[in-house]
Amino acid sequence: MFRSPKRFAVLCLLMGAAAARAEVPAGMQPFLEDRCMQCHDADTKKGGLDLDVLGFDLKDAKTFAAWVKVHDRTAEHEMPPKKKPQPKPEEADAFLKALAAPLTAADRERAAREGRSSWRRLNRYEYENTLRDLLEAPWLEVRVMLPEDGEAFRFNKVGEALDVSHVQMARYLGAADYALREVMARQVAKPETKVTRCYAREQKAFAGKAKFSEFNRSAERATFPMLDNAADIPALEGIAPMTVGVADAEKREREAFGVVASSYEPIELKFSSFRAPSAGRYKLRFSAYSFWAAPESEKAWWKPDRKNLSAGRTREPVSIYASTPPHLLRKLGAFDVTPEPGMRELDVWLLADETIQPDAARLFRSRPGNPGGWHNPLAERDGQPGVAFRWMEVEGPIIAQWPTAGQRLLFGDLPMKENGKTVEAVPNDPHADAARLLKTFLDRAYRQPVADADVQRFLAVIEGAMKSGSSFTEAMVAGYSAVLCSPGFVCREERPGALDDFALAARLAYFLWNSPPDEPLRAAAARGELRKPQVLRAQTDRLLADPRSHRFVNAFLDYWLDLRRAEATSPDATLYPDYYLDDLLVESSVEETQSFFAELVKANLPGSNLVASDFAMLNERLAAHYGLPVNTKITDHSGESDGSAEKSAPHPIVEGVAIQRVKLPPDSVRGGLMTQASVLKVTANGTTTSPVLRGAWIMERIIGKPPPPQPASVPNIDPDTRGATTIREQLAKHRSEESCALCHTKIDPAGFALESFDVLGGWRDRYRAVGEGEKVPGFGKNGNAFVFHLAQPVDASGTLPGGGDFKNIRELKQLLLKDERQIARNLAKQLLVFATGAPVRFGDRPELEQILDHASANHYAVRTLIHEVVQSGLFQNK
Amino acid sequence: MKSTGSFISTQRACSRRTFLRASGVALALPLLEAMRPAFSRAANAAPVPRRMLGICNNLGLLPEKFFPAATGRDYALSPYLEMLAEHRQDFTVFSGVAHPDVDGGHPADNCFLTAAPHPGSGGFRNTISLDQFAAQQIGHLTRFPSLTLGVNVSQGQRSLSWTGGGVLIPCEDKASEVFKKLFLRGTPEEVAAQVRKLELGRSIMDAVAEQTRSLQRDLGARDRERLDQYFTGVRDLEERMDAAKEWEHKPKPVVSAEMPKDPADPREYMEKVRLMYDMARLAFETDSSRAITLMLDSVNSPTLADIEGTHLTDGYHSLSHHGKSAGKLSQLEAIDREHMKLLGQLFAGLKAVTEGSDPLLDRTMILYGSNLGNANTHVTSNLPVLFAGGGFKHGQHLGFDTERNYPLPNLFVSMLQRMGLAADRFATSTGTMRGLEMR
Repeated sequence: MFRSPKRFAVLCLLMGAAAARAEVPAGMQPFLEDRCMQCHDADTKKGGLDLDVLGFDLKDAKTFAAWVKVHDRTAEHEMPPKKKPQPKPEEADAFLKALAAPLTAADRERAAREGRSSWRRLNRYEYENTLRDLLEAPWLEVRVMLPEDGEAFRFNKVGEALDVSHVQMARYLGAADYALREVMARQVAKPETKVTRCYAREQKAFAGKAKFSEFNRSAERATFPMLDNAADIPALEGIAPMTVGVADAEKREREAFGVVASSYEPIELKFSSFRAPSAGRYKLRFSAYSFWAAPESEKAWWKPDRKNLSAGRTREPVSIYASTPPHLLRKLGAFDVTPEPGMRELDVWLLADETIQPDAARLFRSRPGNPGGWHNPLAERDGQPGVAFRWMEVEGPIIAQWPTAGQRLLFGDLPMKENGKTVEAVPNDPHADAARLLKTFLDRAYRQPVADADVQRFLAVIEGAMKSGSSFTEAMVAGYSAVLCSPGFVCREERPGALDDFALAARLAYFLWNSPPDEPLRAAAARGELRKPQVLRAQTDRLLADPRSHRFVNAFLDYWLDLRRAEATSPDATLYPDYYLDDLLVESSVEETQSFFAELVKANLPGSNLVASDFAMLNERLAAHYGLPVNTKITDHSGESDGSAEKSAPHPIVEGVAIQRVKLPPDSVRGGLMTQASVLKVTANGTTTSPVLRGAWIMERIIGKPPPPQPASVPNIDPDTRGATTIREQLAKHRSEESCALCHTKIDPAGFALESFDVLGGWRDRYRAVGEGEKVPGFGKNGNAFVFHLAQPVDASGTLPGGGDFKNIRELKQLLLKDERQIARNLAKQLLVFATGAPVRFGDRPELEQILDHASANHYAVRTLIHEVVQSGLFQNK
Repeated sequence: MKSTGSFISTQRACSRRTFLRASGVALALPLLEAMRPAFSRAANAAPVPRRMLGICNNLGLLPEKFFPAATGRDYALSPYLEMLAEHRQDFTVFSGVAHPDVDGGHPADNCFLTAAPHPGSGGFRNTISLDQFAAQQIGHLTRFPSLTLGVNVSQGQRSLSWTGGGVLIPCEDKASEVFKKLFLRGTPEEVAAQVRKLELGRSIMDAVAEQTRSLQRDLGARDRERLDQYFTGVRDLEERMDAAKEWEHKPKPVVSAEMPKDPADPREYMEKVRLMYDMARLAFETDSSRAITLMLDSVNSPTLADIEGTHLTDGYHSLSHHGKSAGKLSQLEAIDREHMKLLGQLFAGLKAVTEGSDPLLDRTMILYGSNLGNANTHVTSNLPVLFAGGGFKHGQHLGFDTERNYPLPNLFVSMLQRMGLAADRFATSTGTMRGLEMR
């Protein structure tokens, strides 16, 4: 049996090894002996695989994984290597069957015993959504109060990675207490819904920047007092007061403050005379318009003259942020302003004490550093664009019912009384009321029927608190806090085998909403109907049609495509001054990808769209970024844009800040995920790109063929930003070594094609570099002259591992489209991890293929895939 | 919990809103995670206490007077460092360091100990600061997990301490309040109220623990292990609540120092700085806290009182925009030199005290620096940074590339490791501080 005496001797020494070999099923032995042992024995251990000692204890995770690898490398014809004699197909098939059977059996046995997934707590997204829905308080900001969740298989949904420590518990306690108090009434009477108008002229942040000071003598960093489209010179010169005030209502309405700069230190606009009196729903209305500022002089044409203003020529995006000191900004929305001073409305949720900050997002952000001062990149010989604000009107808080739903959940219809600064509930019979309220609360909070023991447990907390001197209200808060920290609330209760109706309802809701089940879903579970395929299908459609499905889309993409890291790095100020500080571009890029995936679900489009699509979800900023036709100047038009999604082919012009579905020109490099700015940003570091990192990312996330991990001994290549060599040249040496080439031929190709895109997804034919070389004229968003130069040309060609040459990204996409099932397989796998909290293991593969079979007739359309996932055994069993 | 000044807190999980409420369990509970466990397990694991003090002067120092010309161990002291000559072997000076991607001019001071990128941009959210990160692990060993101090601070706008959720921890601006907190006992009512809240928290956790136990009964091994971890988390928190209660009953340390008198006028900036240095020293001496931050909000300071013969005519911020005017430069230099003098006094004070076998300075890391490399131009690169004490091999100038700066968060990783924490990264760090070794 052993080919050499030496090997025999070694094995005799390792008696355990002989025993290990003997464990391997007999059906596999001939193939192993003939095709594997030459390299993978105790002597050679090529690639670290030693089949002599591996054994066949499939309960051992490492052993199991090793055999799966043996299976897959053989099935993919990677082993035995090409240069060795190849096995006959039937020989390989027999071996694979003999190996697959025990692997599948072992996996299924484990799944039946313990379930595919582990018991787990909610992650912080889920915990926040759960509190928001339970307390009917969509404004609650709980996520940021909890520690970052661990991830496994790329998602924050896997039990093994969702740890609990004392820090976690203390944070739950803090978060629960915060959320409960946030929804408790602060006054007995229903708060009045007020309409408040804040005139820009009366705002400190605007008026304070109108006069020059020792810290600023530049018009770009000042505000412009305006009357309609003209400069309000008396106000500017301090001859007249900043506003006529109530004395002259007509004139007051025409007063405004303009800026030619976007909000950034040191000029940040704020309507600070309004602070949200309480958390809740508000309507914000803005009166604003664009204007045009003439040059200061013919020589200094890029500087604005605050005294020489006229009607606007551009459409300008304005972002609205809610601000909490010192600089905590939440984006609330965005709209366009035109030369016509229209009124724009946003329907928003505000937190108590938040103020409102507008940002004319396209305008520049002056930063020091340019010799001779900054130079507005938007300036033309005859002036520059600006945005003027007249006022902001706030309506709110808008209260649908009183007492609020949250207050009613916590204290029912008990009367309230004011006690100093707080409001207390007045019980009729503290003990009976406590028991009744707690029971109602538990029924709502828990996602499964509540055991009486649990009611007693939490009632004891309340009773104890009252006994030791807490008020009824405080005692109830303590009891509710305990519920919100308890595993019955914090954890997903799933038992091995088929999920019961309640667990199934929870799984469905946390999949498609990332939130707890709502009343109709719970009712279906209580009726025992949820397991009927048609009921489950109808519920799936209902959940996907609900706005809460955005929570799924956003949370899924945050992890699948790393969108949560979109702001983690920023474009280098020297190499990419045109993107540097461009918040609108980064925000829009995230929205693009979210809208794109939501569109695939909504319109049920084929999964192949993930690789290539004939449309994109864009706004004007993104369209400009992608080199598509846009028209910011609107002087030649009527000044109105209806923002309609229907643009006439073949050259639709994208207008405005709202994301729209846009048909792409047939020769566009865009379409699909890989060429979206967000993806290209999260796969770069802000300064340079690497085909290795991008390639590995694409292979794993989009194609679903994850490359092996980077060997610890190999350092990263440090890209050269001086422009002398390209990353491709630097890589070439590495790739020429055989041991490196093995992996790199699989990793790099997609990355090579994406070299045509810079760190924020802009198209490039040549790399940018610092230092000497061919200069490019222009000024960055920071008002500094470009100092980078254009260096080596980009070579985006490559060869896919299975064969197939491509010259550029478009050809690569066409090659990848040939295997639409693989694209769908990867998406289904990602969805399954997100939905079930467990990866697709070896034993799950047949069921995965079944899911794909069912969706194949429909070209693996995304909503169809979601349905098939939900209908599968993988989803319906723990 | 009126008596607990807002500056004493760490890793507060609750939001600023929760924090501001003055009733119920809201205030007490979020503090608990940091409190000392009854039997102080961690204390046995780390026998030598290590401490840190982070100071940011948000107008920085004149770079040409601060940075030495030569690097290495034999560098010649710069004019400013001359003033610290007697402590030469106790500090390291850095040049060519910065926080990657932390730009935006003045708002960058809030990121001095967090290194969170782009403080000026929309959608910015700060991240946990170095002191809070450390306090999360070792805060329970002392009465106060951390202290957040400030001088002339623009309240609610500026702080060096930020929670894990990116929420600002307000600075205590009055030295007398710090002193009271450290050394004066609260009223019996205050103590009783605090104890009651802790007991309430304890009973909440008891109910949670009970349910966890009952759920565990019929689970498989893998799931039981997950719930076991949950149970342990609950029990650990309970232990910390008990310890916190113990602190309430324990008398505070007695010191011979007198209660400081707070200058009423913000022009007395330098005196306020001196007093805060004293408070930090006293807190370390009595092992009341091991993580302290001090924001010197120079931007928010008026024209300072005259300094030793130099008459100051302009506001501090205005002087920093000197535009190379000789008159302004000489005034600014007088201020900077006073800063160096006070820093020297702090070093000397910490050297004069011994703890165990070491001078206190050897167990206390002091990071002094600024978010601005040059206030005249608002640049956030080439930050002036001086690092003293803590038991490192000091006495050198570590000079890095002034064009492509070396990441300052690497120093934070070195500091955390010196604290005995198993941290291998912090914010945008790429490793530990190159060239800085422990003694």
